[in-house]
Amino acid sequence: MEILSNLAFGLGVALSWQNIVYCFIGCFLGTLVGVLPGIGPVATVAMLLPFTFGLGPAPALIMLAGIYYGAQYGGSTTAILVNIPGESSSVVTTLDGYQMARRGRAGPALGIAAIGSFIAGCIATLVIAWFAPPLAEIALKFSPAEYFSLMVFGLIAAVVLARGSLIKAIAMVCFGILLGLIGTDVNSGVIRFAFGAPELADGLGFVALAMAFFGITDVVLNLEHEEKQEVFTSRIGSVLPTLADLRTCGWSIARGTALGSVLGILPGGGALLASFAAYMFEKKVAKPPRNFGQGDIRGVAAPESANNAGAQTSFIPMLTLGIPSNPTMALMIGALLIQGIAPGPQVMTERPELFWGLIASMWIGNLMLLVLNLPLVGLWIKLLAVPYRLLFPAIFVFCCIGVYTVDNKVFDVYEIAALSGLAYVLLKLDCEPAPMVLGFILGPMMEENLRRAMMISFGDPSVFITRPISAAFLIAAAALLIAIALPALRAKHEEAMQE
Amino acid sequence: MHIRSPKDFWAGLLFVAIGVGFILLALQYRLGDLHRMGPAMFPTLVGGLLAFLGAIIVLRSFVLEGERVPRFYARPIGVTLLAIVLFGLALQWLGLVAAVAVLVLVGAYAARDVRPLENVALAGVMILFSVAVFVWLLGLPLPLWPNS
Repeated sequence: MEILSNLAFGLGVALSWQNIVYCFIGCFLGTLVGVLPGIGPVATVAMLLPFTFGLGPAPALIMLAGIYYGAQYGGSTTAILVNIPGESSSVVTTLDGYQMARRGRAGPALGIAAIGSFIAGCIATLVIAWFAPPLAEIALKFSPAEYFSLMVFGLIAAVVLARGSLIKAIAMVCFGILLGLIGTDVNSGVIRFAFGAPELADGLGFVALAMAFFGITDVVLNLEHEEKQEVFTSRIGSVLPTLADLRTCGWSIARGTALGSVLGILPGGGALLASFAAYMFEKKVAKPPRNFGQGDIRGVAAPESANNAGAQTSFIPMLTLGIPSNPTMALMIGALLIQGIAPGPQVMTERPELFWGLIASMWIGNLMLLVLNLPLVGLWIKLLAVPYRLLFPAIFVFCCIGVYTVDNKVFDVYEIAALSGLAYVLLKLDCEPAPMVLGFILGPMMEENLRRAMMISFGDPSVFITRPISAAFLIAAAALLIAIALPALRAKHEEAMQE
Repeated sequence: MHIRSPKDFWAGLLFVAIGVGFILLALQYRLGDLHRMGPAMFPTLVGGLLAFLGAIIVLRSFVLEGERVPRFYARPIGVTLLAIVLFGLALQWLGLVAAVAVLVLVGAYAARDVRPLENVALAGVMILFSVAVFVWLLGLPLPLWPNS
């Protein structure tokens, strides 16, 4: 069994004491920041990125992954206790989780979320170990033309599955690509779109971009409408679900995990889509009596399992193809680039310790989350009581210091201010930042592959449709666009997003 | 003609401006041909696509009913940007301690509800925390004081 030997090798890496410590720190910090209201996982990962600069690639990635699923779990905690989804993927958890809390069953809701996430995480880890190597092997055979088409497909799929207007999302992708092109062109050495600023020769900072759009501007928008929410901190009760709860939820967890694992692999998928789909599916197939929306524990178990499974399997396109399916994965790629590693299928063969170490660490991280969350729930609840007026200046401090420490350039601080202004206008106009961030990361790679493909084909663009795999990606992308543009399906799509 | 969807109208206009802007800026670089693409080729293509999509969004805003542009509140965004710029200036000339102080003390005014004493205390805590964690624990090369 190759998987087993690979996983054993990965466990060897992940179980070194320093990696365990980093995994633990990551899970702990991720949960801590994720619990704080109004900070999503993207902002959490971006803010905590500087903590990994001093580490090697493997511990850095392990810690970031821990931060990511810690933040995911932290988001669910706020969803259940305060009815504020810490991130979009726990929106559906608020439906039944908050109702359970209001009925005095906050403890079991938190407990089942942790247990469901743990089971889902374990299974998703196996899915990655089983699915990623063959995918990377195929991807290694890709020529530039196939790569370019794959990225087009990935971007289209990501915007189709995202919420909001499709055409605006595609426009945001283009804008992101253009911003990504700022800086030195590797082929000609020309510094593009820098307005004579030598600081822009290395391009816009990805960390600055992510923090501006997901950290600073988010705070600003939160400050515009300050809301008060009722917090259920008084009585949580035992976090252990009863045996009856577990029996009710068994199949929900299984279904959520399966659905989440599949949807996580899709570009644009990941935790958000997984949790929505799992909740809707559960509403249809769960055994009566169904009390969804009124505190049905299955309405917590299924989406929580699904979003954790989806969060983990979304590492598959990132690790094997170097293509991020959501902004968090884009940040992971950014972190790899900062570490001097070019993401792509070669990572698995050239840096097996990185790849398998990360996968094995996910399993350990999930175990840690379970151990960390159930006993520490009391501590997380105290954090919920921290008022926002104390929290948001701290977010500013983390973002500003964080962005400075990427390159130790004060220029980056001004950059984050400028980008925040831009982000503010764009968000006011309902332009989603996620597609833009994906475009930003993929833009330079797309240009590079397009150039190479055209170089090889002597300027003949038909190469994209005469090579079968490339053609398949482009046809799939076109089919997705047509499908979503058709009015009948569009109505259905919007209906689904409404729910 | 009547704008039915102001949000889309302005977003589209912004996209057209950005797309055209990038195309114009790219004029100063070599275009090359499809076989050997110059540094201007890809930005021009993507900029063109962006301007095209922006134009469609603008045209569509005359037909499809949509939302109005929400109010821009000057205080939160203005104070936030000011605080960040001041942080940058202070970090460059006065070091981390002053920079964090200025960021917290000014930044807090982005919210309406400011309690001066509490704010000073928060600034103190954030200074201690960032010096302890970023400089001492993580060893990041941040200047602590002026000219250090």
